[in-house]
Amino acid sequence: MTIFVFHAIVIILGILSMGFQLLASRLLSPYFGSGIDVWACLISTFLAAFSAGAMLGGWISSLEAGLRRRWQLGWAVLAVATLAITAVWGRGLVDSIALGLDPGMTPVLLSCVVLFFFPVTSLSSFMPQCVQFLASRGTPPGKSSGIVYGVSTLGNIAGVMLTAFVLIPHLRVSTLLQVWLGVAVVSLAALLRLLRTPSLP
Amino acid sequence: MISRSVAFVSGLLALVAVSSCSAEPDNRDFIEHHDTIYNSLTVEKRGPIVELRARARGGEALESAVNLNDPLLPVVAYTRSLYAALFVQPKPERVLMIGLGGAGFHRLFAAAYPESLLHTVELDPKVYELCQTRMAFKPTARTPVTLMDGRMFVKRNRETWDWLILDAFRGGFVPPHLKTEEFYRECADRLSDRGVFVSNLHATSQLYFSDIKTIQAVFPQVLLFETTGRGNVIAIGVKYREPDITNPANWARVESLVKPVFGGRLDLAEIAQERVPIPTAQMRNARVLSDDFAPVEFLDALKTNNSDGR
Repeated sequence: MTIFVFHAIVIILGILSMGFQLLASRLLSPYFGSGIDVWACLISTFLAAFSAGAMLGGWISSLEAGLRRRWQLGWAVLAVATLAITAVWGRGLVDSIALGLDPGMTPVLLSCVVLFFFPVTSLSSFMPQCVQFLASRGTPPGKSSGIVYGVSTLGNIAGVMLTAFVLIPHLRVSTLLQVWLGVAVVSLAALLRLLRTPSLP
Repeated sequence: MISRSVAFVSGLLALVAVSSCSAEPDNRDFIEHHDTIYNSLTVEKRGPIVELRARARGGEALESAVNLNDPLLPVVAYTRSLYAALFVQPKPERVLMIGLGGAGFHRLFAAAYPESLLHTVELDPKVYELCQTRMAFKPTARTPVTLMDGRMFVKRNRETWDWLILDAFRGGFVPPHLKTEEFYRECADRLSDRGVFVSNLHATSQLYFSDIKTIQAVFPQVLLFETTGRGNVIAIGVKYREPDITNPANWARVESLVKPVFGGRLDLAEIAQERVPIPTAQMRNARVLSDDFAPVEFLDALKTNNSDGR
C-alpha cells in the first residue's frame, strides 16, 4: 500500500510539473504571445528549476534525519506558497513586468523566473528524496533512481497531454492554477508523511 | 583523388551560385523558403504575381500577394472586403493595422488616402524585410511599420484610431492572445468615438462562432462581410449604439466613397452585397474567449459543418 501511494505521489508531482509549464505559457501569452522565443525562455526556466531542484534535493537527502525533515517541510511550504502567488497574483505580476520594462527578452525571462522558477525548483527537490526513500527500503540506489525518474517522467507525459487536450480546452487557466495548488498541498502533505516513515534498519 | 575533390567543391560552388542567383529579385520566377522565429514562409513569384504563404496545419496558407504589374490591385480577395469599414467610418484619417503580411491592403489604401496615417504593427522582422524586398512595399512617413507584438503595442500606445484592423496570422491562425475579450477591450479603448474595429476571421471552424461572440461581448454593434468562396469573414464592430449601423440606410453612400484609384480594383457596391447575418443559432453554445479561457487551437481543429462548401 505504501509503495502504491508513493508511486501515485511521484506520478502526481510529474503531472504538476509539466502541466504547469503549459499553464505558464497561457499566463504569459496575453503579454508576450506564444512564439518560439517565449517557449525558449519558458523551457529554459523549467530546466533550470529541475536542475536546481535536483541538486538541492540531493543535498537535503544527505542531511541527518531531524534537519532533513525541517528542510523538507520548508521546501514543501515554499512550493505551496509560490504556487499560490502564481495562482493569485500571476497575471498582475506579468502585467507589471511587461509594461514596466522595454519590450524584448528581458521581461519574458524575468516573468518566467519570478512566477515559475521557485515552485518548480521546490517540487523538483523532492525527486532525489524519493530516490532516497526507495533506497533506504532495500532497493539498490541505481534501480531506485531509475524507478523514480521513470515513473515521474510518465507523470510528466500525462501532465502535458491531460493539460493540453482535456483541461485547457474546457477550464479556465485561473481555475486550473487553483486545482494545481490544491493537488500540490495534498500530495506534498502525503509525501512528507511518507518520507517520515522509518526506513529499514 | 585530388581532382575528384576539386570537381566536387567546384560543383558545390556552382550549386551555391545558382541558388543565390535564383533568390535575386529580378524578373524571373522564383520560390524561396524562410524559417523565422515566428513563421515558416514561402515567397513565390510566377509572372507578375508574388505570393507570401505561411506553412500551416495541412499545407500552406496564403497570407498575401501582389501583382507587380499593378501593385495597387488587392490580389487576395479578403483585403478588398476590409474596405467595408468605409460604410461605417468613411473618413479613415488614422488607421492602425496589426499584421503587415505582404502589405496587400496597404498599397491601395495609401494611394486612395494619401493624407491618412496607416500605422502597421508586425511581429516578424523577416516578414517586414520580405515585404520590402519581394513585394514592392515601401514604407513612408504616412505608412510607418513598428516591429512589435500587436497586443503589446495596443497596451503601450496612447493614440486613438479611426480604424483598427486586426489581420495578424501565424501559420494560418490568429495567436490566442489576439482573440480574447480583454484584448478587444484594449482595442476599443484605442478607437476614436466613431472608430471601427475590423477583424479578419476564418469561418471554417467552431472558433468562428466563439470569435463573433467575443467581439459582440465588447462591441455593441457588429457587422459581418463574407468574402465570396474564400472562408474569410470580415467583422466590423463599433463601441456606440446609435446610429444603428446594422441598417444599411445609415451607411455612407457608396458613390460618395469611390476614389479614382479604386477603378477596376475595388468595387464597393459588390462588397456591400457580401454582408451576411450573424449566425445566432450556431453561436448558441459558443463561449466567449478570454485571457483566462482561450482554447483557440482546440476550437480551430473542430471544423464547421459547412466548411466543405467554402
